[in-house]
Amino acid sequence: MISMRNVSKIYVPNKPPALDDCNVEIEQGEFVFLVGHSGSGKSTFIRLLLRELLPTKGQIVVAGQDLGKMKHWKVPYLRRNIGCVFQDFKLLPNKTTYENIAFALEVIGRSKHVIRTQVPEVLRLVGLEEKTDSYPDELSGGEQQRVSIARAFVNRPPLLLADEPTGNLDPATSLGIMSLLNRINKTGTTVLVATHDREMVDSMRRRVIALEGGRVIRDQDRGVYGYGD
Amino acid sequence: MAINVGYFVRESFLSFRRNWVMSLGAIITIYLSLLIVGVSVGSGYIIEQIVSGVEQKFSIRVFLSDNAAPESVTAIEAELAADPRVLTLTHTTKEMALEEFIATTLEDSPEIVESLPGNPLPASIDLDLKNPSEDVLAVVEDIKAHPLFASVAESPDDPEKSIQYGQEIVGQLLALTKMIRTVGAVFIGLLGFISLIFINNSIRLAIYARRKEIGIMRLVGASNWFIRTPFLMEGVIQSLVGAFLAIGTLAIVWVYLLPRAREVLGFLRFELPLSAAASISLILIASGIIVGLIGSGLALRRYLKV
Repeated sequence: MISMRNVSKIYVPNKPPALDDCNVEIEQGEFVFLVGHSGSGKSTFIRLLLRELLPTKGQIVVAGQDLGKMKHWKVPYLRRNIGCVFQDFKLLPNKTTYENIAFALEVIGRSKHVIRTQVPEVLRLVGLEEKTDSYPDELSGGEQQRVSIARAFVNRPPLLLADEPTGNLDPATSLGIMSLLNRINKTGTTVLVATHDREMVDSMRRRVIALEGGRVIRDQDRGVYGYGD
Repeated sequence: MAINVGYFVRESFLSFRRNWVMSLGAIITIYLSLLIVGVSVGSGYIIEQIVSGVEQKFSIRVFLSDNAAPESVTAIEAELAADPRVLTLTHTTKEMALEEFIATTLEDSPEIVESLPGNPLPASIDLDLKNPSEDVLAVVEDIKAHPLFASVAESPDDPEKSIQYGQEIVGQLLALTKMIRTVGAVFIGLLGFISLIFINNSIRLAIYARRKEIGIMRLVGASNWFIRTPFLMEGVIQSLVGAFLAIGTLAIVWVYLLPRAREVLGFLRFELPLSAAASISLILIASGIIVGLIGSGLALRRYLKV
């Protein structure tokens, strides 16, 4: 699903690279934690996968497509295969739960019929049937993150990226979000979670890729957060 | 909670109001520039009509002295008739001139002529040219330079006075057309430029107001054209509104003011037919669409990275 070979990203010449010669292979259906301190290269990693950035060196293949060779106009079609969840939810404040999720389908040209069947379905999956007509400001942080996960997943992408999805949430709520991501992973979707939520990573016991100073310093199955600090 | 509702309400309200003013500014500048386009195209059309009308009536008339030797007159006439620039040559005798004078000026009281001691009107050579506006001066100069001219001219002391032609009027009309075109072109260029800036700005603000939505659209994979189209449409709609306002204003001028102008300027014959008015409207709509597309296109290139 994801393949990085000798990938480096240098923002400013002659400064330390944000990513330094990374090699990562992630198979379809895996659940992977990407851990590291702030500034370790997690965000750069995610943005490279979304082709918001191009690597300075190396090759990235996502969902069978070489991002370096991809035509500019094809990028939106790549992103339709990647669901995205962020720390700050990125919901539209003037749209209800339903409308926020439907918006993601509307703007890629899905029919009204598809929207009417898929949105309630994904709302059931994230457990927000009751909140269909609520606005984001009427929802708790955990509920808002569920809406944003529902929006990322409503198009059934084969890959889901989550950048600090629990960064703004308390531990109990975070647990709920993680089990939701786990459930999504069980449907066959590859899930990559960038986080520095130590307890979460330790309790889930999934594959952990650790970054430090832009280098992959550890990649282990059923791993823990590590770093010993 | 991370989201401050009041902030969003204030921000979107502010952005809407700001954008509303900018949109209005864009519409007004487009309206003014297209109005000027319409006025200069329309008046150019009318002036061309007037010029060609005047040109058609227009001829060179050489008044002959009563004492002119008939051989000299015939010689000059033969030479002029052979000139390729001359369309027709007519010899008007003193009797014909008098008849014409009675017919045009004294139709109510022809008896006045009876009281005259003789026929005071001179005979003349009348020339119609093929291209009056271009050749009038040259032909007149040639006649003046002719060696026999002084001997046949009506006033031998000042032969210049014996030739009548309307070059001045035509020249003035042509200069007027040229001036309207130049001033129009300068204004169109200036206002077109200002319109582009206004559209560019109003689209930039529209993009700014919707940047969050755009970010999400990009994230979930909306195609570039799906994101761009609403903004292009906004620019085109703004300039179309301007174009229709300009057409409306010109229609009022056309329906109410033009007939009155025709009455007042009865001696100048002109009209602006429906077909010409329709093509002017089409020109305005087309240039509105083009300006709108260019203006919002520039804004998208600069402010909307997709």
